[in-house]
Amino acid sequence: MNTNHNPEKYEKINHRIGRLTLPAGLLMTFVPLIILAVKFGIGPDLKALVQGIFSISVLMAPVSLVEVLTFTAMLGSGAMYMAYLSGNITNLKIPSAAMAMEVCKTKAGSEEGEIISTIAIAGSVICSEIIIIAGVILLVPLKGVLQQPVIQPAFEQILPALFGAIGIYYILKDWKVAVTPIIIAIVLDLAGDFPTAITIPICVLTSVIAARIIYKKTNA
Amino acid sequence: MKNYLDFANKPVLMIAAAVVIIFVFLQAGLFLFVAWKRGKSAGIDSQRMRKALGTGITTSIIPALPIVMTLIAITPVIGTPISWMRLSVIGSAPYELMAAGIGAKTMGVTTLGGEGFTPTVFANAAWIMCIGSFWSIMIVSIFYKGLKKRYTLGKNGDTKWRESLTGACFMGVFAIFMASPITTGGISLVTFLISAVIMLVCLLIILKFKFEKLKEFALTISMLGAMAGCVLWNILTT
Repeated sequence: MNTNHNPEKYEKINHRIGRLTLPAGLLMTFVPLIILAVKFGIGPDLKALVQGIFSISVLMAPVSLVEVLTFTAMLGSGAMYMAYLSGNITNLKIPSAAMAMEVCKTKAGSEEGEIISTIAIAGSVICSEIIIIAGVILLVPLKGVLQQPVIQPAFEQILPALFGAIGIYYILKDWKVAVTPIIIAIVLDLAGDFPTAITIPICVLTSVIAARIIYKKTNA
Repeated sequence: MKNYLDFANKPVLMIAAAVVIIFVFLQAGLFLFVAWKRGKSAGIDSQRMRKALGTGITTSIIPALPIVMTLIAITPVIGTPISWMRLSVIGSAPYELMAAGIGAKTMGVTTLGGEGFTPTVFANAAWIMCIGSFWSIMIVSIFYKGLKKRYTLGKNGDTKWRESLTGACFMGVFAIFMASPITTGGISLVTFLISAVIMLVCLLIILKFKFEKLKEFALTISMLGAMAGCVLWNILTT
């Protein structure tokens, strides 16, 4: 280990890159829409747009706030900015980061864990973007293959396939911490069709409380 | 009446979308570079960092496929460039569909595509998809730095607890996605269980034969096996 290792320096660089690239990326997504409106005259209806902005904001402002609070505890700074620019956080970036930390035998929450998960998420971003590009190029032939009735169910069941494996891994890793959030999640699921914006924070919170009680007991 | 698609698929829009995706690659490359340097400075073996990168890549291949499925579904409605761009940045496939739905609904159209999906409805849907991501991006850009600092400082005294806390957060997120197939049952539960059993077998092999290399691919193998099982189940039961 380098005795001059200064995590602060890298944190500063990460925040600087992130705070520049995120708003820039957001602005860039409007370019095609502006081209459509100005060059081809296909623009939105302003009255409906204002109404839409209101609807989506009422929904997304609280959801985004809660999500940011949850992911801050899980991801390093570089990982966080990458995950937000490329999206697909819970279904792609988080499982990738978790698996990479297991393969490299490091703990989430440590500096090493943050570095390992940031590298993994960079790999995840590059891979998923390439797959989407391949999807765009092969759109027509893929359509025939993926929508075949025999194999289509397999693509509809990718989330259960992903979280069956990840789930059992985490249960084996620490079943005492796993039990409570799983029970709560099942109860929430049976109670009604709540959006993940509500269920994720509840489950994370109960998971943390359970972990705290177990931690206190074992380290008393 | 679907001629807005002639404009929505113009090459100039393809280029604008490509620029956004190139930007995503550049950002990832930049963060990868910084993290690699930081890892070296912190004394992490390059081989382990390569392993982390490899795991990040291999574990993302299959979970990225549903994004391609959504792409196939929405390109006939909003054109290739905007579908490609939206699914490659900020948000997830369900968010994009929901936002497009809200955009169309304010114009009194309840389905994506179809008769009433005029150029203006299309434009409204696309604008709402982009505007909706304003919140998450701005919250991260403005408040994340302070949040992260407070989080690191607050837990500084007890690193062991901080590690447990982070692990518990991961478990909380995974619990949600585990509960869904359990309560849904049927083909979801079957796929879920096959995946869990294959992972279990992989872990046993890793333990018994000290075959550490398998760990990098255990998730991918489990997913592929579960999907194959799902297809088989579907054939057998229908």
